[in-house]
Amino acid sequence: MTPALWPPTAQEIVFLLLSVVAVGSALLVVTTRQLVHAALWLVACFGALAGCYLVLTAEFVAWVQVLIYVGAVVVLMLFGIMLTRAPIGRTADLDSGNRVVAALVALATAAVLVTVVIDGFRSAYTPLDPGTGSAKSLGGSIFRTWVLPFEALSILLLAALIGAIVISRTDIKGRE
Amino acid sequence: MHVVYPAVVAALLFSIGVYGVLARRNTILVLMSVELMLNAVNLNLVTFDVWLRDQLHGGQVLTLFVIVIAAAEVGIGLAIVLAVFRNRQSIDLDRLRDLFEPPNSSDPDGSQPAATKVTTGVGPE
Amino acid sequence: MNTITAPAIEYLQLAPLLIVFGAGILGVLVEAFAPRYLRRAMHIPLTLLSLAGAFALVIVQTIKGVPTKPSAMGAVAVDGPTLFIWGTILVLAFISLLLLNDEDHFVPAASAVPGSAEEERALIEGNVHTEVYPLALFAIGGMLLFPASNDLLIMFVALEVMSLPLYLLCGLARRRRLLSQESAMKYFLLGAFSSAFFLYGTALLYGYAGSVDLAKISTALSANVGQDALLFTGAALLGVGLLFKIGAAPFQAWKPDVYQGAPTPVTALMASGTLVAAFGALLRVFWVAIGELDWDWSPIMWGVAILTMVVGAILAITQTDIKRMLAYSSIAHAGFLLVGVVAIGDAKQNATALAAILFYLAVYGIASIGAFAIVTMVRDAGGEAWHLSRWAGLGKRSPKLAGLFAFFLLAFAGIPLTSGFFGKYAVFQAAVAGGAVQLVVVGVVASAVAAFFYVRVIVLMFFNDPAPDGPTVVLPSWGTASVVGFAALATVVLGVFPQPVLDLAQSAAGSLFVR
Repeated sequence: MTPALWPPTAQEIVFLLLSVVAVGSALLVVTTRQLVHAALWLVACFGALAGCYLVLTAEFVAWVQVLIYVGAVVVLMLFGIMLTRAPIGRTADLDSGNRVVAALVALATAAVLVTVVIDGFRSAYTPLDPGTGSAKSLGGSIFRTWVLPFEALSILLLAALIGAIVISRTDIKGRE
Repeated sequence: MHVVYPAVVAALLFSIGVYGVLARRNTILVLMSVELMLNAVNLNLVTFDVWLRDQLHGGQVLTLFVIVIAAAEVGIGLAIVLAVFRNRQSIDLDRLRDLFEPPNSSDPDGSQPAATKVTTGVGPE
Repeated sequence: MNTITAPAIEYLQLAPLLIVFGAGILGVLVEAFAPRYLRRAMHIPLTLLSLAGAFALVIVQTIKGVPTKPSAMGAVAVDGPTLFIWGTILVLAFISLLLLNDEDHFVPAASAVPGSAEEERALIEGNVHTEVYPLALFAIGGMLLFPASNDLLIMFVALEVMSLPLYLLCGLARRRRLLSQESAMKYFLLGAFSSAFFLYGTALLYGYAGSVDLAKISTALSANVGQDALLFTGAALLGVGLLFKIGAAPFQAWKPDVYQGAPTPVTALMASGTLVAAFGALLRVFWVAIGELDWDWSPIMWGVAILTMVVGAILAITQTDIKRMLAYSSIAHAGFLLVGVVAIGDAKQNATALAAILFYLAVYGIASIGAFAIVTMVRDAGGEAWHLSRWAGLGKRSPKLAGLFAFFLLAFAGIPLTSGFFGKYAVFQAAVAGGAVQLVVVGVVASAVAAFFYVRVIVLMFFNDPAPDGPTVVLPSWGTASVVGFAALATVVLGVFPQPVLDLAQSAAGSLFVR
């Protein structure tokens, strides 16, 4: 039996608070005038999302999110900002001229998607039991059902590694 | 947990990402916006996985894969961005205009700079 | 659950895939351990032999009998169409790699600023990025996996395995470096953007059907009535991601830019292999997962097909860059192929349409590699003679080459006695049988418009006077020469005796996609 949408349960309140943080910092990422701040708001957004995953009992995904997104991706972005010698502080020209069009497209997307998901999941409810998203159960299915995509992914990582070396390594000598 | 809460949050995050991709012109900011879109997808996948009680954990496994692929993509992307920066001293998308329609062409698209065409070209229908 | 039972992997069925990936990994080891002067000599046989071996295994599999159920825990479907597509991609990849072998397409040091002392030095020292071989193999492996994917999860992984190496390869052209890097950047950003759409669509369909498996999505269609909005939005977003890879309008903006900027052998690989792979995946999603819904998606696909044909044919006329023109021609051809996708119906009709699409993909891929191979041979001082006006009078200067190029263009136009004619004829015939007569009319008109600009180039080559400082035609290496020879031969032979390959396509399509 589905409980009513209001009042929210304690879990839902935590989730909603975290998602307000996530959406708010995401908005700041796309509107801030300072490049470095965008990267830092991105950390806040990803962190809040990791919290959301924890509330949703997806522990392993939450920790991977923290390790890879917050730990690696954002650091890479910060390196990128640093190496492209972006100005620190306010910069006026981070946005292109078509902000209004972009906002209209985004609002339309939001309207369509929100309507669709509200329509689709109006009555969907799930009680949360901890432990279902543990590393053990995920590992079991990765190495059984999803083993071929997993191996293909390792190829992808190798290709990305080689590719990044090819395009940025500067110490290549001619004949050895 | 009502599934509709995370689903709506994900839809909002995705739209914010779409706005970022279309409105920003610094390449690294565009990359960040793409990451926001991917995170919106991840939230959806995790929620559906938990809601469906998927025995195969398709949703959460795909989430893990998306996270890994995103990391690889950012690595490649920044390598390309840095290569472009070394040659041009700029990573403004609006200045990447060498590849675009010949100016004398009669098509309406040709009069626009490439960067705007590029960003609006794959907008949702 | 304390022990994990080992997954069942049908190694023999996956062997072509595993060989290509394995050769890629060996290539990386060669890069790591072999001395620099030996690397090319090791890469070339390794790459070509692995592709040939994979092709032989595809044939063995075909003779042994087509598997009737998905392999590798339901991840990959090695069925009739997959085997045909694999065979096609492997042949196309083989000849693209012969083209890629030519020494001077790729930059000597990718990280050096063009024109800098560093680059000069790398050039003098005879430096080459031999890493392109394993990268190309990884991309080709992704191309094999993409159309064979039986669930959306592995389809996404395959999409990225295919795309990431291509993003990089696009940025490695030796000449016109800035254009090349710009094309890599645009391809990368738009590719990442479109794969986010693909993923959101995947997520919505997963929420709708409770599974990412294509067959289970199909069965969920009849079970979950009343959640149509979710299903349609999911399918539409998924479609955006797939149509982007094909370069169908309105998602075609990347194609001319990327084709123009990328090194020409990489363009040839993308124009043939990626197109074939992406069409295979598109067909699988639209015919297997949401095939029951064809009533709902057909009208949209009609619109996309018409728009793609019209945009491709009309914008091609205004182009002055030879590679851009070929890119628009590729967009128009994607439109003609989409006509076949719309021609869905009962099982018999599906088999006819599928066979037509498979045949078209094979012949178009071969002819377009041939055309790009010729583009690599016509050179100015600064590299390929990209501006169309430079091609004026080429027919008087080197009639053989211009004649071959004209022949490929006629094949694109679909003139009888070329393979392109039978390709177009088969697709349009299937579409008429499927009731899409109006669409075929638009297709024929678009072909006529397209034929106009192909003929314009031919007139330019044969009836205009050559410029005094016109481009030179380089003596082709054995690789390029054999690519052009093979492509021309295939185009002639399939234009005169298409039946064997048509039969093969029909028997491959007869079993349709497994579920």
